[in-house]
Amino acid sequence: MRAFNAELSKLFSLPGIWLAFLIGAFAPAVIAALVITQQKAEIIATGLSEAGYDGLGFGVQGVIILGVLAVSSEYLTESSESGGGRQITTSLTVVSSRLHFLLAKAGAVTVISILLCIIAMMTTASATQLILGEYAPVFFEWSRLIGVVCYWTFNALLAFGMTVLMKNGIIPLAVLIINSSVVSFSVLLSKVTKLAFYLPDRAGLEMFMFFNDRSHGIFDKFYTPFTGGLVMFAWVVVLFIAAAIVFHRRDVAS
Amino acid sequence: MSVSSSRKITQILGAELEKLVTLPLIWRTLIGTFILNLVLAAAFTSAGLQGAAGTQNILNIGLASMGYLQAGFIILGVSATCSEYTGGQIRTTLTAIPWRGIQLSAKHLALAAITIPAAFIIAASGVLYTFIRLRDTAVGFEIDIMIKTLVGATGYLTLTTLLSAAIGALLRRTTPALVILLGYYYIVSPLTRDFLPKYLPDTAGSYMYMPPSSDEINVLTPMQGTGISMLWTLIFITAAIVFYRKRDA
Repeated sequence: MRAFNAELSKLFSLPGIWLAFLIGAFAPAVIAALVITQQKAEIIATGLSEAGYDGLGFGVQGVIILGVLAVSSEYLTESSESGGGRQITTSLTVVSSRLHFLLAKAGAVTVISILLCIIAMMTTASATQLILGEYAPVFFEWSRLIGVVCYWTFNALLAFGMTVLMKNGIIPLAVLIINSSVVSFSVLLSKVTKLAFYLPDRAGLEMFMFFNDRSHGIFDKFYTPFTGGLVMFAWVVVLFIAAAIVFHRRDVAS
Repeated sequence: MSVSSSRKITQILGAELEKLVTLPLIWRTLIGTFILNLVLAAAFTSAGLQGAAGTQNILNIGLASMGYLQAGFIILGVSATCSEYTGGQIRTTLTAIPWRGIQLSAKHLALAAITIPAAFIIAASGVLYTFIRLRDTAVGFEIDIMIKTLVGATGYLTLTTLLSAAIGALLRRTTPALVILLGYYYIVSPLTRDFLPKYLPDTAGSYMYMPPSSDEINVLTPMQGTGISMLWTLIFITAAIVFYRKRDA
């Protein structure tokens, strides 16, 4: 529990974390507002229930940054004037069990992403209400909202696990941001092979997006929300186990 | 010690080039981008082969991966300037080269010298792969259009790299710079394409290599696109230099 508190306080004192909070809390609302103003007439005509949720789908960047920063900040080399040290050596001196350290950090990331997701849902819901007024579709369907929370948390943990493996935030950041954007690799690959439906973000999206009402047909429904979530969760677990094993066996100094 | 100023500039350029060449991240990024581009070209090609046969345009499919490719070059630009700020290298740099404006300009020049051949090879390899796979089914194409498009793509990637380098120099931290650039290029820009004018760096730049299509009204010519995105890059580089000269290192 102490290690968990320490990780929380480390996370809150990171300078880059404010960017993550800002993006996580407000970007979904802004994106939802943009998309809704573009398709306002269409939404009013059809009562499309997707409105707002695609904002939450794109806004997952905030927690991706959170997961990446939580790990990559530990590996940042300090300047040679202050001994060229790294935070990770201090952290592991204090919490000597590496598994405990990793679990505490993952726990802190999970708690913050859930909170961030709840804030994002509130801002997005109010933005939707504000623009669409009485035409706003029912936003609070609990099963879908839980899906969004799971999607965000799993994405944060994926970013976390990838960064532990790579010790550097650049690659996970690039891969995950592009993948959560309009031109996602997974969506492209799912046009080539059916196997791509098992990729974590493609499967995870099914937890809250209903693809069957899309007209352009690149999104096909493949899972029920529950199995989509299970597939993504399996990825998170596998990645976390791999990260834990590698982290356990690795020389910290290298 | 007094050195003539042209000799000085050559030495600074040499030093910046050497720093970039010895940065391991640069080579990893370039090799990774190269491999990724081939994989994507393969994916797009096989998606293209499944489509209607006989109507594909090799250039369209070969350059379809450009949207993903630019991420590698954004990383390249950001890490070139931000690497100075991890571990206090910047203080050594400025002790050796106290002329800040010249130093940062030399860094951008050195970066361009590395990026241009790399961008050309990477863009050309994707098109070549598509050409080999689609030779039989594709409609005929002309070699001069292909060269023009490849030069445009190279220019676009180089300008993107320099723009990212300038933003990296402005923000001095890798993660925020990367988040802002990737967020702009992949999230904000595609979502706002319908209302914003076509003068933003990535939209204008995309006309440098896009084959002209007839169904849009106010498209830019490749030359206009080049000019606009060059202007954006220059504005950001100038801003970076101005801040760099004023600011505490």
